[in-house]
Amino acid sequence: MAKKGDRERCATGIEGLDNILGGGIPTSSIVLLAGTCGTGKTTLAFEYLVRGVMAGESGLLITTVESPDKMLSNIPRFTFFTDSMLMKGKLSIINLQEIMDSAGLSGSDMDEAAIKKLVAAIAKLVSTHKAKRLVIDTIDTILTEIKDEALDSMLIADMSNLLYRSECTALLVSSAEKGDRIEGRVADGIIMMGNLERRLDLLRTMQIIKMKGTSHSRSRYVIDLTETGVLVTPLLKGVV
Amino acid sequence: MTENLHSLIAAKLEELGPSTAVAFEIKIDSYFDAVRGVLDDFASGKDLMCVYITASVPSSTLNAALQALEIKVTDLRFVDCISHSLMASMEASENTAFVESPTMLENIILKVEYFYRLAQGKKMLVVLDSVNSFALHNENKMLTEFLTLLTNSLKAKEAYPVLLAIPDQLKPEVKETMAMVCDVIIPL
Repeated sequence: MAKKGDRERCATGIEGLDNILGGGIPTSSIVLLAGTCGTGKTTLAFEYLVRGVMAGESGLLITTVESPDKMLSNIPRFTFFTDSMLMKGKLSIINLQEIMDSAGLSGSDMDEAAIKKLVAAIAKLVSTHKAKRLVIDTIDTILTEIKDEALDSMLIADMSNLLYRSECTALLVSSAEKGDRIEGRVADGIIMMGNLERRLDLLRTMQIIKMKGTSHSRSRYVIDLTETGVLVTPLLKGVV
Repeated sequence: MTENLHSLIAAKLEELGPSTAVAFEIKIDSYFDAVRGVLDDFASGKDLMCVYITASVPSSTLNAALQALEIKVTDLRFVDCISHSLMASMEASENTAFVESPTMLENIILKVEYFYRLAQGKKMLVVLDSVNSFALHNENKMLTEFLTLLTNSLKAKEAYPVLLAIPDQLKPEVKETMAMVCDVIIPL
């Protein structure tokens, strides 16, 4: 539970994750959701948005690789998700290319001016949709078009300022296998998803590497992706 | 004794109430009588959702046996941890969740949690069949941690955790684990 004086929390609605975080992600944070493919990043990020809508917070999902339709077809059909969330505009899914096109950006070899334009376009969308939750899936697509590492850092820092002003809490999905890349260093938090091989079994795992503004567990947890949501339980260590 | 075994089991569970981890030490020849007591006499009578964790027999075989023996269960779900290992039939069903191996202990806990969510507040009874099978596949420290986590999470949900064990075939350290994890051990 969050203590008095702690930063306000954005309860993700994913029960196990909120327990680990002591109530949720500190509001207005920018959190890197990192891990290799098949570890459940997109599913977790989508549940975060859907749970937000259920709690009265509008959400915005920017897809950068898959089309919105394909993305929806690839994740479990949550029992608590309804199409009306999309139709009523409580949850909006937009492809990055649309944003790039409307901002007049080519998307290749982005310089400082292009990054400023992109952040401004995202800020406008956050404002228009009154989004309190933002997901970019994946941030890698944007970062690969930025050749200068200092500009990577600038993009995350500018987005961080934008989200802070908008009281919007963001998950940036990344395929980074470690949180020590530039975006990990600049982000307020890192949730690392992974695969753990134990006696030839492959377990999906989740671990909070860092989360500014809150104390949290740093243990590793096992997760399962189901239509009732992402389920979380401690990883057994066999050291009783 | 055997004739009334199922009634005795139901009466014991009724007496102990929810949030009590109970282990029944059974003999092989009274296995289905014990199952009848837990599922038919007790759980169906109280309209509980039954989650049956099987690491011994595939859920399809067990289900067929329950039907043949006319053991009635109103709401039965399986967490089947053995079919995959045996390459047995794994027909998709909303009543069965498959776990790839009895060594994927965390996934078993998560499948129970999954059914708990589907139950939407309905009271739940969870049968673990059997301690012997899990002891066969897992090192004792892992088994102890698993049973502790499973039973404690079920107690917190006010569910009925029931463990089945065949005592003659248990190693002493597994018996110690059962004594540590369970609130009550009932020899039958």
